[in-house]
Amino acid sequence: MRREMATRMLLAAALSIVSLCTLSLPVRAEEPIKVFLSMSFVGNQWQEEAANTIRAMAASKKYKEKVTFEVQVAGPNAQKQIQQINAMVQAGAKAIIVYPISPTALNQAVKAACDKGVTVVAYDGEITEPCAYNVHIDQAEDGRVGAQWLADYLKGKGNIVMITGVAGTSVDSDRVAASKKVFANYPEIKIVAEANGMWGQQGARTALSKIVAAHPWETIDGILMQVGCYTAASMQDEAGIPDDKKIPCAGEQSQGHRIQMLPSGTKVEGTSGTYRPMGYPSISYSVPASQGAIAFKVAMDVIDGKNPPKTTIVPIKPVKMGEVRICETGSWKEMDEGCNVFKPTVVTDPGFMSGIYTSLTPEIGLAAALHGSPEE
Amino acid sequence: MAQTHYLYNIKNPLRRFRVDVYRGPALSMIVMFIFVVLLDLVSPTGFTQADLTYTASGGASLALAAIGQTLVVLVGGFDLSGGAIISFVNVVLATNLEPGTASSVSWVIAGLLIGTFFGAANGLVVAYLRVQPVVATLSTMFVAQGLALLVLDKPGGNVPAPFSQFFLGSLFDGSLPMPLVIVSLALVGWALLKNTRFGTYIYAVGSDRDAAGQRGINVRFVTFTAYALAGTAYGAAGVFLTAQTASGDPLIGAPLLLQVFAAVVIGGTRLGGGRGGCVGSAVGAYVLILIVNVLLVFNFSSYYATIAEGLILIFAASGHSSSDLPRTNWLDLASIWGRRRPAKNQEISVIPRSDKVHGLPGFFQRNADVLRYTMPAFVCLGIIIAIQAGLYGHVGLSYLNSQITLASFLIILALGQGTVVLTGGLDLSLPWAICLSGLLFTDWTQGDAASTIWAIPAVLLVGAAIGMLNGFGVVGLRLPAIVVTLAMNGILQGVALLYCNGTPSGMSPEFVHWIMTGRVLGFSPVSWLLILFVLFGVVLLGQTVFGRRIYAVGNSVRVARLAGVNVGVTIASAYVLSGVCSALVGILLAGFIGQASLGMGDEYLLSSVAAIVVGGTLITGARGKYIGMVGGVLLLTALQTVLASSSLPEATRQIVFGAVMLAAVVTLRDA
Repeated sequence: MRREMATRMLLAAALSIVSLCTLSLPVRAEEPIKVFLSMSFVGNQWQEEAANTIRAMAASKKYKEKVTFEVQVAGPNAQKQIQQINAMVQAGAKAIIVYPISPTALNQAVKAACDKGVTVVAYDGEITEPCAYNVHIDQAEDGRVGAQWLADYLKGKGNIVMITGVAGTSVDSDRVAASKKVFANYPEIKIVAEANGMWGQQGARTALSKIVAAHPWETIDGILMQVGCYTAASMQDEAGIPDDKKIPCAGEQSQGHRIQMLPSGTKVEGTSGTYRPMGYPSISYSVPASQGAIAFKVAMDVIDGKNPPKTTIVPIKPVKMGEVRICETGSWKEMDEGCNVFKPTVVTDPGFMSGIYTSLTPEIGLAAALHGSPEE
Repeated sequence: MAQTHYLYNIKNPLRRFRVDVYRGPALSMIVMFIFVVLLDLVSPTGFTQADLTYTASGGASLALAAIGQTLVVLVGGFDLSGGAIISFVNVVLATNLEPGTASSVSWVIAGLLIGTFFGAANGLVVAYLRVQPVVATLSTMFVAQGLALLVLDKPGGNVPAPFSQFFLGSLFDGSLPMPLVIVSLALVGWALLKNTRFGTYIYAVGSDRDAAGQRGINVRFVTFTAYALAGTAYGAAGVFLTAQTASGDPLIGAPLLLQVFAAVVIGGTRLGGGRGGCVGSAVGAYVLILIVNVLLVFNFSSYYATIAEGLILIFAASGHSSSDLPRTNWLDLASIWGRRRPAKNQEISVIPRSDKVHGLPGFFQRNADVLRYTMPAFVCLGIIIAIQAGLYGHVGLSYLNSQITLASFLIILALGQGTVVLTGGLDLSLPWAICLSGLLFTDWTQGDAASTIWAIPAVLLVGAAIGMLNGFGVVGLRLPAIVVTLAMNGILQGVALLYCNGTPSGMSPEFVHWIMTGRVLGFSPVSWLLILFVLFGVVLLGQTVFGRRIYAVGNSVRVARLAGVNVGVTIASAYVLSGVCSALVGILLAGFIGQASLGMGDEYLLSSVAAIVVGGTLITGARGKYIGMVGGVLLLTALQTVLASSSLPEATRQIVFGAVMLAAVVTLRDA
């Protein structure tokens, strides 16, 4: 009997909550349109920043009144993302921004969404279904730029270690293929070891530690890392290798990496340990997190009846030694004028991805990537 | 049928059959029903035919895979290879399918056969070579994953539209989605199988292997067939997935690994065998996929999503208490909650599997059993190091140092995870327990050495609290360990992200960084500390009352309880130990990297299980020595180092890794 009572009470409570929810729905003259974000992993630095830039874009003056924006997480599971996209369509989405877990597996769900008039825009990764809009960098260019810089720096000669991303993904295989194509032009460049760094600092350090166990630092002439030049320099620091002997490294845009590229001895507030200027011979190219924000803009353009291109290629903005400039505040305007790394006192995490800037996103500054707040 | 009940009753004479038999599927169906009603009420459009259609296909491959896993679990096994087999079938079909019915039909058959082949390979190794299921299927997982990467190194392939349309279509004017028909067909197959003599054998073998053997059942053949049929189900899942995604992706199956187990457990099948069925698992799969819709409707956005998912998982499994745990007076919570009842079934009917007691002296004789299952890991380690030396000329101090430093994380985790496994549990909350601990540590210290004095104990306390919660879930709420710790992992992930707001802050103090990367007499300081830790672990498990209780509980909960062991406290303290070990690894890993980074614990979940099992620990509990686990860790680390130093492609590496691991462990077969 008691159990029955409890069940009834629970049901009553549930019903009243439901009806309250229904009652409190805002009634407006012009219904804002529903935009969803289906992101993949939570728990990866770049992913977090990218999602924040989308939040910022949705909260910017231009769009704030026009949209209701919701974020859902699919994790690494493509099945879940398919289910999520389908459910979003059912929930009345006008546009869905997707970080696609797989470039192909979502195609059927995306096609179904398009057929119901929903705009689907993918960022960073690609969706091969023709009705989808894509915003990404040129992955082959990404692989090529780093490899070419390294080959030039080494004057076409030396032993190279490659730390790649996640095996079996399009992004990784396209980048690696492009890098290897460059190295193939230099018969005296030899790739002595190659390992997956899983696009994270922890993975990069583990992979590199294993490689160094067999190939000591003095036998390596150059390193190509998708993520982790910061880690490579830190490990050399710990091994007692002086700054002027550090092995050149080509890689992505982590905050710590760019600080290390500043000339050795530069005074920068907030540096410590290996997170310090060391004149690191290096190139750092951006895979801008603002791709997410651009994807949001593309979606809104489609809804507004403009005709954006199906594919937006975001430039990767390489930063070489001598080109590193510290931002005072990290506003978009400042980055537009050429700064490309943030104060260590503001961004304490050297793993932060500093390549936020794109010319297309004046709404996105450092605050957007950190907290999802748009520029004024 | 009389035989069924006879065999069934060997283990649990007082079981109320019928009610119990249908409890699993019934409970999971109720949960599914609640979800659907909820979605219908809360979502603006209700739960429509369209929702039914896409949900039917969304959950189908998980359901098929869960059906396969259930067969293995019912005979007392454990299969980690399902996801990789699905990926392999997927890429083979996506690269070979051509338009036309003939091609479709033959490749569907080929897909089923490929799955069956891998399943049979698992079965062969488990049943006839007597290798532990976890190791056998983990090896298969690596081999199948490697092969999938060889076939397709990135997503691609082409699937003719009619192929997809057939599997995603519907019968009876669109009212009955085809995926449901397919899953139902698989369940009909299961129902037929269950009611044959063979079906009875499956339950008999899973309930009590020895008794089944004595009844004249060919235990090995039954086990083998269960694995092979599971493979067929994975093949079917792969075929369906190919139709659903109309493409090939070599990584598509990997994330299904833990989902499949969750589906099986939610469906009421008991890990360890003998109880449950495929219907519940299939429903469990749909429960899991509907969580996506529930999260969407209630707008649990990003950081809260994993927390909500964890809580829903616990809710969905809350009907299934694990019956082999007694109702204990664990902090007397159970009695406060009014759930305490006098214990029934006190007959001792389980013969402890413990090592035989030898009265004779002599170190080797006394420790023959222990040596037999701990030595192979060390022997293989020697071989691997020799190979490393042969390939790269020298094995110097720096090589040994990096090996021990890299292995240190797993050596510490192995004590916690190993202890939990010895009690018959499993801790899946390691990844985010590690990550959260690292985040807290760097945030609290902000690189300041002085504050480590309080920060380290504080973080270890957090780890203990996490373990306490796990223990409470397993003992106090009597939920399956896999569900509790998987949910905990999701909850911790959410908490970690909320705490740092997506961006970790702070640095590891220089002192901790030095422990991981500095040098004292040629080795990193952590290597020296590790000697103390290993000694501590060996003594803890081997020489203390605590250790004896752990083994006793793993052997038989009932016997342990009758012997006066407080089972609840013992099990809970194993989880606490695991939590503390995770926290310690979080601190050291933050020191190793220099700061905490998101997702830094992810790679240690599977490897912690692999290492302890390679080190001779029985995944079902009770057997295993810490020193053997340490050997397992060192072996796997050395193997990965050899492979990472080479320029072999990733696909080949995975195949080699799987094959070597299996070869190393074939020598571990217990007589």
